Amino acid sequence: MYGGDTQGNAYVDDYLVPAAAKEGVTLKRVPVADTKDALNRVLTEKQSGTTAGQVDLVWVNGDNFGTGKAAGAWACGWTSLLPNMGVTNPSDPLLSEDFGTPVDGCEAPWSKAQFTIAYNSAAVPGPPKTLAGLLDWVKEHPGRFTYPAPPDFTGSVLTREVLYSVSGGYTNVPLAFDQGAFDRLTPALVTELQDLKPSLWREGSTYPKSSRELNALYAGGQVDFTMTYGPAELTKLVTDGTFPAATKVLALDEGTVGNASFLAIPSTSGHRSAAMVVANLALSEEQQARKADPGIWGQFPVLNPGALSPEGRALFGRLPSSPVVPGYEVLSKNANPELAAAWVPALDELWRRQILAGK
Amino acid sequence: MAVTLPPGLSQQASRKGAAQNGLARSRAGGRILRTATAAALAVWFVLPLLPLGLWVFADRWSYPAPLPQHWGLDNVESALARGAATGFAGSLGLGLMVSAVATPLGVLAARSLAFHPSRWSAAVSALLFAPLALPAFVAVFGLNVLLVRLQVPSTAGVVLVLTAYALPYTTYVMRLAYAAHHIGFEEEACTLGATRGQVLFRVQLPLIAPALARAAFLAFLVGWTDYLVTLLVGGGSLVTVPLLVASAASGTGNDGIVAVLSLIALVPPLALLLLMGMTGRRHRGGRT
Amino acid sequence: MPESEVLATRSGQRTAAGPSLKPCMPGVLLAVPAVVLVTVVVGGGSAMVAAQSLGLMPLVGRPELSAAAYTAHGGDLLVGAGLSLAIAGTSTLLACLVGFTAALIIMQGRWCGKLVAAMSTLSVPLPHIVGAAATGLLLADSGLLARVFGAAEGWPAIVGGPWWVAVIFEYAWKESAFVGLVVAGTLATRPVDYEETAALLGAGRLRRLRHVLLPLSLPALMISGTIAFIYSFGSYEVAWLLGRPYPEPLPVMALRLYNSVSLTSRPEAAAIGVITAAVSLGAALVALAFLRKIPLWR
Repeated sequence: MYGGDTQGNAYVDDYLVPAAAKEGVTLKRVPVADTKDALNRVLTEKQSGTTAGQVDLVWVNGDNFGTGKAAGAWACGWTSLLPNMGVTNPSDPLLSEDFGTPVDGCEAPWSKAQFTIAYNSAAVPGPPKTLAGLLDWVKEHPGRFTYPAPPDFTGSVLTREVLYSVSGGYTNVPLAFDQGAFDRLTPALVTELQDLKPSLWREGSTYPKSSRELNALYAGGQVDFTMTYGPAELTKLVTDGTFPAATKVLALDEGTVGNASFLAIPSTSGHRSAAMVVANLALSEEQQARKADPGIWGQFPVLNPGALSPEGRALFGRLPSSPVVPGYEVLSKNANPELAAAWVPALDELWRRQILAGK
Repeated sequence: MAVTLPPGLSQQASRKGAAQNGLARSRAGGRILRTATAAALAVWFVLPLLPLGLWVFADRWSYPAPLPQHWGLDNVESALARGAATGFAGSLGLGLMVSAVATPLGVLAARSLAFHPSRWSAAVSALLFAPLALPAFVAVFGLNVLLVRLQVPSTAGVVLVLTAYALPYTTYVMRLAYAAHHIGFEEEACTLGATRGQVLFRVQLPLIAPALARAAFLAFLVGWTDYLVTLLVGGGSLVTVPLLVASAASGTGNDGIVAVLSLIALVPPLALLLLMGMTGRRHRGGRT
Repeated sequence: MPESEVLATRSGQRTAAGPSLKPCMPGVLLAVPAVVLVTVVVGGGSAMVAAQSLGLMPLVGRPELSAAAYTAHGGDLLVGAGLSLAIAGTSTLLACLVGFTAALIIMQGRWCGKLVAAMSTLSVPLPHIVGAAATGLLLADSGLLARVFGAAEGWPAIVGGPWWVAVIFEYAWKESAFVGLVVAGTLATRPVDYEETAALLGAGRLRRLRHVLLPLSLPALMISGTIAFIYSFGSYEVAWLLGRPYPEPLPVMALRLYNSVSLTSRPEAAAIGVITAAVSLGAALVALAFLRKIPLWR
């Protein structure tokens, strides 16, 4: 799994691995710098026709999942066999479709996430309330904002947020990809982002390559905003002094994009049943509650609050709240759905051609 | 020979007195110049390591503080929790394995090239140096499919590829060493009735020992410093320090952990170098 | 080693009694294990990558010979190649200059030489990814130097800037130590007397440098410089960590496409790999041609 997140690593090592060991499964966490590295390995194994692959469980979602599914990289139809799937809400759209790709039992839900923009309230006294307002703020304060260059995951989300905003809300953008809608809607997006360019950090002549680089700029006071799809990390980064103490989460009236992330088993895995045991364990009330603890990782649970057992409800009730990040109920208010996975590479490529390479 | 002596010797000789003066003066000036250059070079080589040294002990170092605000060992703890020990063992194992395979193969190849020139020699040396001209990522793009299809265990695959990349160095070092040592010694020992063990341990090894150590060290470094081959061919089964560094460096707020991992990466090669330096000196001292 | 050495000496004993001492060792066969291994890696790797680039090994669908992967990113490919050449060229030039100077100081011995030798051995064994991370911590907008000088907004765009300064610095830093140690090593094995003789004969500092030291170190300088050039030309992690998103050096572009989720991008990544390899091979051949012209070579 992606290894750049210290808390995520610690959660897996300290809680999930021992719990798996109790079930008789040896879980070995392999850190990758990018989830694509893991998918890539699976694709290579697939290309070579092996059935005893190295990778047994991948933390995945979105276009990585979509491409993998198209290439037959995932084992499918196994999630209904997991006893703990009963605690999730079967009609939850975030869990049945992953960026528009039907999940079809090819991956088990693990966490929910909400795209979050954070700002330094010491530098931005009257924060904007909408995305359009944020873009106006950027133009009034040149050099104090930027976003990671797609195909970085976070930067990619921001371009989709801007697309929703310039299209007059997400309801005006068809979630399933269609070329007509793409051609109709993207010119406004390109114009907006081009207009924004001179007001960005380094006059938009370049962009941070990753959300890590954006975070470094934010930590170093070069910009006043940062953004993340994993707001849990904000708590830790403020506590350890990496981020300014005045860091706050920007509340947008129209809401932000939310998604769920999953655990998938490669079709080349040599240990499918062991991987299923771990996926089931990861869905248990106890593990989900630990994972949701802001002191441990702070990832939002995928369980259905109504279906929790009394013990489970007590577990979640005891969780401390974060001083920086509001709870999921607040963050996910007016949550916007994610566009279908096919939109993502198309928008990324458009951005590369028109915004990054275009002068 | 390309080393041409300066022209106009006689002319300079006739002004010998003046030249002597000039020589003396230039030596004093030269010392200052040399000291300044040496200092500048020392700074050049050490400066990038400076932030690592500070970050290791920085429990809290918010921008724009020029020095850490809290010193401590939190980063060491986090790095250990992140699997620094496993990565260290993985790196060490990889370096040793590459060294263990590439050094003997390099010795054999170098012997063949040095003592048995044939019509194949040119082609053999060209081939053995070819890895230097092929960027590792290209070889890996191709080999990955091949290795997985042939079901080569991924660690073995990593060692295989890196050994090929270490062979130019081991072969080159040993080739130089053999160029300096005359095969006559071995042949003489043979004729004088030395057993094969005696030839190996009494004649060959002492003659090539320093070069052998250098070759083995270079091969170790190829394994120790690699990132991309371990990542792509290893497919995550082999966790090494460079992999941990890359993964930590891709997240935020990990600078201290990156620093700890980086310094960990510096320790074994330096220890090996020191060891080599010490035994080398003892050998030299013993002989003179 | 032991097995073949045993073989070697056994045949040696057999012939020791004979009239000729020549075949004491078996010949060219000693190189076979190394040759086989390198052939698999270099030959196999190149062949497979070429096959992928030509569409013969698609992830899905049937193999079909096509050059589409080579033309898919025409303009970006040229820009990337130019950028890679510029980065590798500049950093190699710097590395050779600094490395040669370091070698001269190391050769002088005394505490100066020992200091420089010790310091340069610090950077040689470090993985490039560590060098890149350290460079970032030193030179980034919020890095150590920016903090110490309190530069804040005034700090120049070194990391991720338009001139790729941090990337070039990292390569120059690490490769200069490599070049320095290789050149110093070669100079140490050459007769020292040349320089002393020249000095006694009254040759000035610059003349000795130009006519004695430079020619003596030129082969080692060329070889280590070429290795450094090809390495930085084909290396990924430094430009990935310290560069900017556009334009991309060839290896970064290749890895992005290799890891990209679209299914057509693997052949495109392989095509960039083939081009990178071709340029590297060309550089090696050019260096070899120059080396042949140097009389001291062999």
